Amino acid sequence: MIEIIGVTKSFSTDCSEVRAVDDVHFTVNRGEFVLILGRSGSGKSTLLGMLSGLTRPTAGTILLNGMDISELSDDAISELRAKEIGFVFQLSGLILTINALENVMLPTLFCPDYPGSDSRAADLLTKVGMSERACAYPSTLSSGEMKRVAIARALVNAPSLLIADEPTGDLDEATEQEIMELFRQLNREGTTIMMVTHNSDLIRYATHTYRMTQGNLIKSDGALSPRLTLEPRTNVNDKVSS
Amino acid sequence: MKMNIITLLTASIRNKPGRNLATIFCFAFIAANIFFLQLLFSGTVLNVDQGISRMGADHIIVGAQYTAHLRIGENPPENTMALVKVEPSSARIKADVMGVVGKIPGVSNVSPQLYVSTLDLPAVSPEPVDLFGIDPATDFTIQPWLQTPPDHPFGPGEVLVGSELSGKVGSQIDIQGHLYTIAGRLDPTKSSVDYTVFLNMDDAYAIASAKGIVPPSAPQISPGDVNAVLVRIAQGADSGMVKSRIQQPFSYSYVKVIQRHFSLDPASQEIKGLPGLLGVISTFVVVAAFPLIALIAAMVAHERQREIGLLRSMGAKRKAIFLLVMSESLVLATIGSIIGVCVSLVAFLLLNTMGLLQTTFQVSFRTPALYEIVATSCPALIVVIAIGSISSLWPAYWSSRMNPYDAIRGEGK
Repeated sequence: MIEIIGVTKSFSTDCSEVRAVDDVHFTVNRGEFVLILGRSGSGKSTLLGMLSGLTRPTAGTILLNGMDISELSDDAISELRAKEIGFVFQLSGLILTINALENVMLPTLFCPDYPGSDSRAADLLTKVGMSERACAYPSTLSSGEMKRVAIARALVNAPSLLIADEPTGDLDEATEQEIMELFRQLNREGTTIMMVTHNSDLIRYATHTYRMTQGNLIKSDGALSPRLTLEPRTNVNDKVSS
Repeated sequence: MKMNIITLLTASIRNKPGRNLATIFCFAFIAANIFFLQLLFSGTVLNVDQGISRMGADHIIVGAQYTAHLRIGENPPENTMALVKVEPSSARIKADVMGVVGKIPGVSNVSPQLYVSTLDLPAVSPEPVDLFGIDPATDFTIQPWLQTPPDHPFGPGEVLVGSELSGKVGSQIDIQGHLYTIAGRLDPTKSSVDYTVFLNMDDAYAIASAKGIVPPSAPQISPGDVNAVLVRIAQGADSGMVKSRIQQPFSYSYVKVIQRHFSLDPASQEIKGLPGLLGVISTFVVVAAFPLIALIAAMVAHERQREIGLLRSMGAKRKAIFLLVMSESLVLATIGSIIGVCVSLVAFLLLNTMGLLQTTFQVSFRTPALYEIVATSCPALIVVIAIGSISSLWPAYWSSRMNPYDAIRGEGK
């Protein structure tokens, strides 16, 4: 589904060049729940940004469903994002002046071929346990509730890939667990998920796990990603999830 | 149910009420200034236009034996200044004079007047009442004095009455057994016009032939007789020259030409400078407010970069972001300009009613009609909406070109 080949992202500073992502190779298959662990500044969010076309790699190729997104125009990438990719960010990113249901419907504005029925947004709110708060404004929601709405919003256009950037970073332990259970449920229902986090406790929810350090993708045994496709470690936590 | 751009726009505008109110205030301020100046200008012009239109004819062509018979107490200089109506006289000429005069270079309008009789009509006026015939289609001296513009052309069986005559518009007036409907009432002129009933020409000939209307001692009126042909000269034409041209085809024993002895030029010169002044003040307002609005628009775009990044992450194209930012500015500009125009109009009406405008500017202002207000408001609306658009061009472009990844990561900074 996703194939990353030799992707590098570097930023120029006043006196040097910083490689946020350095020659990364890996593959994500449909239906996987991939977790990328790493400390702040390790380059994991930059990697997600490139995967989704929000930022372009300095070098390398990113194939999404066989299509090289680094070759696409900005409009084409936007259209691809609208149809194929759902985002959940650390802060929910809800628009404060529209209610939960309207927030969930927001991405449909940019998806001309919106695949859902009229009630899809409401159904998704039900799915994430927020049906009773559909008309509530974000300022009246708790962090966990906002996150649930954000997840529903990420799913409204029926994307093939759900990208989550530190989705539990601002949540307490109990809420974090609820949200992660929700991600696992979505994954079991067929949604491919890529998540980055600094919390190693979350690896038990993923089907595959990577570690990112100083721009390099590292296998769990500590080896740097070589110039070939990494075979992700099949997580022992599959047993937990089952 | 599908999300639409209106919901998003409304949400964006509601997001920062204080900031948006300040922006709306800026737009309203510009619109109010421009519109108020336009109102002052058009109010002055309308007043001068009405004054000019009521000045009557530049020349009156009358029979050679014509002598004005003024009413007791009338002030001769004032009555001869504004040639609105010929004075009662039995000296008549033929209406075909109009055909000749109308073709003379420098003549703009010609219209006939027929004096029928002066009657005692106690039910209408304690003073004797003059009966006159005019041609509503060509008349340019009487109808400008109407208190309110008629809702239909002044036709057969209808009359216009002077300000001192009784009877409401729409009611009937009895002229010695002949009934007519009052189609309009004239403003006071402080002249014999205030005691005159104006019929259309055909009705005038008809009543003139009725028994007891024209005194037996006076020459009878035949169709085609008129007492005067009133002439308005074309703009820029030399009045004295035109008078000579009018007199030339006719014998001095047949007609004489009376010329109004004052010019309208001084009044028109006074208002010639107003558009320039209006332009200077409007330009100053726009130049002063434009950077402020552009700065607010830039700040708004900067402040919203995370939101814009989020929309981009949801698949919004650059064009959509550009249009969203532009639309928001246009909505604020439209709201602001409408508020500015309304506030300005209320202020104008209040100040004009209280007489403060006349006191301040030493010029009288006529309140424009609704359609004139709408027309006058257009420049203010267009200018403000243009400012809103132009000032938002760069912020909208910047927002649409912003790297969404950087925009989202700009959170909290």
